[in-house]
Amino acid sequence: MKSHLILACALALPCAAWASDHGPVFSYATPVNSQGEVSFDTGIFGRNGSAGTQLSTGSGFGYGVTPHLTLTFLLPATFGSGSLAESRMIAGGEWSAGASWRFLHSVTSVGKRIESTASLAIVAPGPQQDSGVLGNLHRAPGVAGTLATGLASRSQYLWAGAGYTRFAEASNDRRPDTLSWSGVYGYRPAKLRRGYDQWDYRGFAELTGEHTGNVQTAGAILPNSTTTSVWLGPSVLAIFKNIAISGGAQAPVFRDASGSIYGREHIRFAINFSYLKYSSHTAAH
Amino acid sequence: MKKLILAGCLAFASLAAHAQYEQVNLTVFGMDCAPCAHAIHVSMKGIPGVNTVDVDLNTGLVSIKLAAENNASMRQFNQAVEKNGFTHKDAEVIAKGKLTGTAGAFFLEVSGTPDRYALSPAAANIDLTSLLGKTVTVTGVVPQAAKGKVSDALRYKTITEVR
Repeated sequence: MKSHLILACALALPCAAWASDHGPVFSYATPVNSQGEVSFDTGIFGRNGSAGTQLSTGSGFGYGVTPHLTLTFLLPATFGSGSLAESRMIAGGEWSAGASWRFLHSVTSVGKRIESTASLAIVAPGPQQDSGVLGNLHRAPGVAGTLATGLASRSQYLWAGAGYTRFAEASNDRRPDTLSWSGVYGYRPAKLRRGYDQWDYRGFAELTGEHTGNVQTAGAILPNSTTTSVWLGPSVLAIFKNIAISGGAQAPVFRDASGSIYGREHIRFAINFSYLKYSSHTAAH
Repeated sequence: MKKLILAGCLAFASLAAHAQYEQVNLTVFGMDCAPCAHAIHVSMKGIPGVNTVDVDLNTGLVSIKLAAENNASMRQFNQAVEKNGFTHKDAEVIAKGKLTGTAGAFFLEVSGTPDRYALSPAAANIDLTSLLGKTVTVTGVVPQAAKGKVSDALRYKTITEVR
């Protein structure tokens, strides 16, 4: 009943998920699709630690309903058997559907804008079971909300964001609540501020962090199951007209997690490919 | 034969009287990257009558050249910008239209579109009375309008009669 309630609440709210293709690969950012734009993202997201490696291939679809509202849908697939902590910064094994609403959009000059985007998505267990501690849990849907704000310009980008995910209970099990946050700085060198018919490159420094709550199993809290970690690393985004390729890696700068439950996670990496199909439809006068 | 010549003259006259935008140089704020410019390019090219579109990301200038006898309106150019989440500013235009109004209050009516501009001089005032009712080519600036709106003013630089 609780899961149904969460599902209904999420569907009733007109918003939701992650920003992709125009932004950083790990962090929260503000870009949304233009009206009528269809976007497709797919990539490989990896996590490696002392307790194994986990790869996922999230494939996301986006549709711009208005210039500031984008509907999103994510198909999950995971591989590997790493016993790793819950993460919402890296695509995992859940379906996700929702919307992103750019509620603040202030254009200050040529090439520069300040904006804020809120997203809300419903996440549901995918077809594949997680591995490790999380793999033993009965899974239920959850709700993920994010908020990102920042600045985009021809030379520099700066975004900060935070997200919270809460899962419902299933058969007295519950996956941990996750609080995640990110800060990212991007730069495009003067030589690369070229025409739009040439490849467009920019580099990012991405700082991300996550705190996962307790794991509940058989109605009891699993001791020492909370985790906190902070990650830092570079990423690069290359775009040519309607095709984007991005990639990056992150190393831990802070880890507080039980080694016996999750091992020690060493590295996170991602390669993402995006295709953007813009609408040429313009209303008659 | 006489009828044929007459029909030809009438067709030519209606062609000359048919007015439209010839070129629009629209300044757009907010485009930071190549996909932004590509999106604008695709949207502008989707407007019937648009021949070529060039986007300069560093100046924010979108240069649109139009085919003869088009019916594209300023509202469509603005919508193409707004649907991509950007902001349109002033537009420099070259447009053909009929000069209407009265001495002291002149208007340019771009036929085939709902666009009608109150004309005001960008610099020195020109006496337009002799051009009233005639088809003219105007170069000038259409000032920025609020989202979803089209300015009803045009600050002209030159006005010449279309012969």
